[in-house]
Amino acid sequence: MTSFIAGKLGQYLLVLWIAVTLNFALPRLMPGNPLALLAGEEVNLLTSQQRAQLMASVGLDQPLLVQYGRYLQNLARGNFGYSFQKNKPITTILADRLPWTLLLTGSSLFFSTIIGVTLGAMAAWKRGERGDVGLLGFFVFLESLPSFWVGMLLVALFGVQFPIFPTFGAMTPWVTLEGWAHVEDILRHLALPLATLTIVSMSGMFLVARYSMLAVLGEEFITVARAKGVSERNVLFRHALRNALLPIATVFALNLAFAFGGATVVETVFSYPGIGRLVYEAVLNRDYPVLQAAFLMITVMVVFANILTDLLYPLLDPRVRHAVERGGAR
Amino acid sequence: MIWASMKRNPLGLVGLVLLTAMFVMAVGANFIAPYDPTQLTGKPFETPSAQHWLGTNDIGQDILSEVIYGTRISLLIGILSAGIAMLIGTSAGLLAGYYRGILGMLLMRVVDVVLVIPFVPLMVLLAAYLGQNLWNLIAVISLLIWARPARVIRAQVLSLAERDYITAARALGAGDRHILIRHILPGVLSLALAQFVLATSGSILLEASLSFLGLGDPTQKSWGTVLFYAQARNAFLSGAWVWWVLPPGLMITASVLGFALLGFALEEVLNPRLKAHVATEKYREEVNRKNMRDSQHERRKTTPKSQ
Repeated sequence: MTSFIAGKLGQYLLVLWIAVTLNFALPRLMPGNPLALLAGEEVNLLTSQQRAQLMASVGLDQPLLVQYGRYLQNLARGNFGYSFQKNKPITTILADRLPWTLLLTGSSLFFSTIIGVTLGAMAAWKRGERGDVGLLGFFVFLESLPSFWVGMLLVALFGVQFPIFPTFGAMTPWVTLEGWAHVEDILRHLALPLATLTIVSMSGMFLVARYSMLAVLGEEFITVARAKGVSERNVLFRHALRNALLPIATVFALNLAFAFGGATVVETVFSYPGIGRLVYEAVLNRDYPVLQAAFLMITVMVVFANILTDLLYPLLDPRVRHAVERGGAR
Repeated sequence: MIWASMKRNPLGLVGLVLLTAMFVMAVGANFIAPYDPTQLTGKPFETPSAQHWLGTNDIGQDILSEVIYGTRISLLIGILSAGIAMLIGTSAGLLAGYYRGILGMLLMRVVDVVLVIPFVPLMVLLAAYLGQNLWNLIAVISLLIWARPARVIRAQVLSLAERDYITAARALGAGDRHILIRHILPGVLSLALAQFVLATSGSILLEASLSFLGLGDPTQKSWGTVLFYAQARNAFLSGAWVWWVLPPGLMITASVLGFALLGFALEEVLNPRLKAHVATEKYREEVNRKNMRDSQHERRKTTPKSQ
């Protein structure tokens, strides 16, 4: 257990370190005014005295190693610096945005996994028949769709042609709603972005679920279960699906990076106020410190979700659990 | 041989047809497109007419011509980034599979790390710092997509390195370099080709996303860039989405699908033993297995469709 988890943790720490170091190095390596790259284009409007002050406060007058140490120190304290454009500490901005991205990505991961795994299991059950071939073709097609385009089409269809759902933001602005009306408002705003993100991310789950089900259905214990007279439904969901879950969990973990990346694009289409949308705004406004912080935040979320999935492994697979209990032969 | 197996794979053929159409469009853009897409040939926001089949954009450029010329840029970026990624991925896979010591371990660690980092935000970050031009876009995409092919190639190298003829070559005094380049590389080339086609599919999609976020090369409009302007000018709030949003998106989907289908088919044809994430192959394999089982104990009444 410990060696398995430690190895994984080491890998994730490495990911974080690379992301952090990239963030540190990029503005300092690029040609141009590093102060503008660190504090945003607004610095050009400052007086030379203010600029010198800012320079000192960001620490650009120090040797690189000292800057790096200070940078790490600030991050460890959760201090991402200050956005001169939004006139707010970046930590506050991130805290405002984070819940929306978690809501969108989390619910989309939930639905795409449920839909993908169920349909994948059913397709495997009907392998080679018309329904299976149809589903397979359909999901390969879904995988080829650009997410932002799906979003734009949904806006055109369900926002403009048939105005059923709101297409902008996460809540109705300028009104204060209470209780259930508030929840309903949030859910209605979530509908289209959620549908978009789910449509583009469920095909991966489907393909893997289908394949690992096919592998399991060929095993002898399935034949035995049938011979015992277990109903087909129970064979599928109790005996086969449970054993097919491990590869599915692996792909789920790999999908995380994809889902959070996809959220960046989808949030942009729907002006959904999450971290991904923040990335886009920061690019448009050349607000580099915010861009960096948002990227780092997304990386942290992906890593965190990966760790959760890894901790789930022993629960899913008794073989891993036993190896773990025996003291980690892995 | 390849052609004969391709004929038996209808999906692969569909991919080939789609891609042929795309390449014809890319190469012959100057003959096919009615206008030069950089010229102002109409009034802004024109609706479709005999002069402009897909109307004009916000500054009066012909959208149909933009889409046709966009094929060049999108395919160029997709193919070049996939090509560079395959160079990196194949080398990394070869080295990691052959030198299983520290070097191999380190390389695979790097691969694992690249796979966990969220692509799109990192690409946005890099593109924003490096500046918006074609070559930066290609560099950024290829630097991020090489890890998956590296893994697949490594798996193949691991199995190749155990073969008798490698042992024989080594016994005859062949050095590592000779074995890697003369004996192992040829064994992974066909796999690398299939991976290249699949990577192209992925990088076209990534390029579209980046350009849609406004990080494409503004002087070289790809399909994603056309959609960026459509989004920025709220094309989907009016009827304009039908001629401004639909066509470029359909082109992206068609080319991504084309490369994916061709890639799956190639993987199957060139590497029948490979157990990668290939949908069509899995499907075929399972039909065979089912045939066998059905003849063993006729549990199911439906006969599988013939291929």
